[in-house]
Amino acid sequence: MGTRRYLVGKVAQAVLTLLFVLVFNFFLFRVIPGDPAQILARAKHLPREAIVQLTEDFGLNEPLPKQFALYVEDTVTGNLGISYKFRRPVADVIASRVWPTVLLVGVATLAATAIGLLIGIYGAWRRGSKLDLGSLGVSLIFYAMPEFWLGILLLMGLAAGLGWFPTGGIVTPGAGFTGIAAATDVLNHLFLPAITLTLALIGEYALIMRSSLLDVMGEDYLVTARAKGLREALVLRRHAVRNALLPTVTLVALNLGFVVSGAITVELVFSWPGLGLLTAEAAGVPDFPLLQGLFLLFSVTVILANLAADLIYGYLDPRVRRV
Amino acid sequence: MRRTKRGRLAAAVTAAALLAGLFVPGAGAQTPAEEERIVFTLGDDNDIDSMNPWVGVEAPAYLMYALNYDLLVNFSLEDLSPAPGLAESWEVSDDGLTWTFDIREGVTWHDGEPFTAHDVAYTFNRILEERQGCCIDYIRQAETVEATDDTTLVIQARRPTVQFLTAYVYILPEHIWSELDEEEVKTFENYPNPVGTGAFQVVEWEEGQFFRMEANPDYWGGAPNVDEVIYRIYQNEDALAQALLAGEIDFADTLGAGVFDSLVGQENIATNEASIPSFEEIGFNAGADENYPNSDGHPALKDVTVRRAIAHAIDKQTIVDRILLGHGTIGSTIVPPVTDFYHYEPTPEETIPFDIAEANRLLDEAGYEDTDGDGVREMPGGGEPLHFRYFVRNEENSTVTTSEFVTDWLSQIGISTDVRGMSDTRLTNVIYDGNYDMFHWGWFPDADPDFILSVMTCGQRPPDGVWSDSFYCNDEYDAMYEEQQTTLDLEQRAEIVKEMQRIVYEDAPYVVLFYDRNLQAYREDRWTGFIQQPAENGDLLAAYGPYSYISIRPKGAEEGGTGETGTTSSTGVPTAVWLGGIGLVLAAIVVWLLLRRRAGVEERE
Repeated sequence: MGTRRYLVGKVAQAVLTLLFVLVFNFFLFRVIPGDPAQILARAKHLPREAIVQLTEDFGLNEPLPKQFALYVEDTVTGNLGISYKFRRPVADVIASRVWPTVLLVGVATLAATAIGLLIGIYGAWRRGSKLDLGSLGVSLIFYAMPEFWLGILLLMGLAAGLGWFPTGGIVTPGAGFTGIAAATDVLNHLFLPAITLTLALIGEYALIMRSSLLDVMGEDYLVTARAKGLREALVLRRHAVRNALLPTVTLVALNLGFVVSGAITVELVFSWPGLGLLTAEAAGVPDFPLLQGLFLLFSVTVILANLAADLIYGYLDPRVRRV
Repeated sequence: MRRTKRGRLAAAVTAAALLAGLFVPGAGAQTPAEEERIVFTLGDDNDIDSMNPWVGVEAPAYLMYALNYDLLVNFSLEDLSPAPGLAESWEVSDDGLTWTFDIREGVTWHDGEPFTAHDVAYTFNRILEERQGCCIDYIRQAETVEATDDTTLVIQARRPTVQFLTAYVYILPEHIWSELDEEEVKTFENYPNPVGTGAFQVVEWEEGQFFRMEANPDYWGGAPNVDEVIYRIYQNEDALAQALLAGEIDFADTLGAGVFDSLVGQENIATNEASIPSFEEIGFNAGADENYPNSDGHPALKDVTVRRAIAHAIDKQTIVDRILLGHGTIGSTIVPPVTDFYHYEPTPEETIPFDIAEANRLLDEAGYEDTDGDGVREMPGGGEPLHFRYFVRNEENSTVTTSEFVTDWLSQIGISTDVRGMSDTRLTNVIYDGNYDMFHWGWFPDADPDFILSVMTCGQRPPDGVWSDSFYCNDEYDAMYEEQQTTLDLEQRAEIVKEMQRIVYEDAPYVVLFYDRNLQAYREDRWTGFIQQPAENGDLLAAYGPYSYISIRPKGAEEGGTGETGTTSSTGVPTAVWLGGIGLVLAAIVVWLLLRRRAGVEERE
């Protein structure tokens, strides 16, 4: 009973937020000063009639309520309008760029979570040891480094210098690889950006895991567990880590939403053809429909990540469901 | 029971990893077995927006059009003057109204259909009918366009004009484009298989990554020496330079000065500073209040003396040295020197040199005096101080740096500035509405001077016009603008065009700061045969035609022969290492799960 109400509540909350974002998005981009038709025209020295034509094509001459109605219609029908820059449905443009980002962010998040949690757990368990201080220090240095700089260093060293990896992109152009060779090609291109993003993320996860585990280690129930005669490793795993995971899981899930939009600097360094780059391009025009589409996608990601965090939280900690 | 199951799983995973290891040697040899193709890979930092020539505006789109399509009349290699394109020759009636073009025979479209004069007529007529923004300005004077037979095109002009000889209009195949209506053509992707008559054709396009073009062996201008041209997008310049050094690309285009300098003198790398039609200027609001009574432009800037005084106070050489790191020349008139035939260079008497004392003298003489002793001059008779809003572009950091120099120089002549950074979008609107005093921006004019000259005409002032960003207006200049459009003798036209530049230089609605260059670098150990356009200090690749792309060839190879290229093989660690690594990780996870399970069984609470 409690569980169901908890679930329904959380999902309803997410849907409401989504609706708000939908409306907010529209007005947000109408506040940006500047006329997209003019900007496109300046780039190509278009004559007056071309600007009038573009303004009509983009629906910018319509009154605001009409524009809003068109926007809602485009969103509901799923094509999200026509991109000003690429002159194709926004949904198509985004679809062609979404998988590279999912791959990059997915791999980096998995690796960073696994490594970060291990470092955090070990650090808290053997607090003050050389390994704790060393690993924590190193991961914090990477955390503090600008991703852009770290990426360029790796690129100069491992790609241009040693020639182990390619300098950018996601495939070797024109190579026409198939099957396993194609997969290897993608992995080779993925390696440097994924490592950069992973290194940037590890520190945060390690730190939060370490400090929440330290919090838990002073709790009475650990004394009880030890009193029951459990080995130290089991005390750690069954009683300490499980409780300490709560804040970490929340952080990872929440972060996932932001990592998608935040991978932009890494995508820029390695010319990774994902959503981050697309956002930068769209902002330059400004391409309202494309920006709206992207922000909608980012908002949905953050909202879903939040929802996921709530649900996992409920599963991991039964107390949450009753509140 | 469950334990055995997991045991089996672990065994399976280990076996899989081992098996993969066995297969590795075969999988690692991944170079395609097909014949070695000659591939020229070009890297740049700009993404293509559309392969539809009526839609795209980005530089790589222009490159794709130049290689995939042809113009009716080309721009010559030597000096960009009219040269045979799809038209082999042409003649004009004495009154300058009837143009007859002899269209090349035996040219075929990429899909094998024959190309005729009817395709040209179709392209021109459709642009005129639908008033296509891309191109209508280039052929606006055409009254009728008609193919009288397969090899003859006749254009009747409304008034005498030479504009058809510099028309930047790519000729499209009627048999494909006629199937698209006016709405469809706006979102037509023109991919896959964009059919043109050009030296290359696009065969692959990965958005945001690269596009690949295959040579057209039947090209009327001669078959290219390379088999393929790949255009790769690098989203940052440092990576682009590294890719060139690593040999992943053969050519890096439009580099920044800093990155370019870092490549000069590197082993196997040749560099080139190409003259291009480009300049940057400081523009003034020379009278927006005529069109917009509410414009808040500073009244002092309507006075040519103040504008000339500012021009005297700007040390262009310092800007070239410090901002462009020496890769450019100081600016003068609005038609860049690369279009030598039309460029006017002011005589020593006309030149406005860097001279702070002279600037002060001019302002003193005109009555702009600092009456309240705050270091800033006031309007004659003591009024508004000479305090100017000076807009710079957030998108172009060099304009911000330049403003620091300019502000300092202006303070030495009693003028204060309020420097404000803005996005291009916002700046466009601020200028369009006439609410500014000074700004820093630039132009990339056509090979023909007509467009850049039109920017200074009265008719281009907003809101009726579009392109004037100085609100400059001079009836004498406008009359000459009309005259150069209808002058058929090119020498005569050049005289008028030069006089127009002199007038604008003298009236100084713009201070042209510099002519910048296209900084290029390539692998000289691999490539040769570049053709510069124009011949002197020109661009090695030039998008005014496919000449250089047809001519380039691998070093050491005879024309048409094969040579070392090596850009299509994959860089990176072989499949073996990847499979081994993934196998190890999987094995570690399985072992950990097993250990955990065993511990759990042994020790219950």
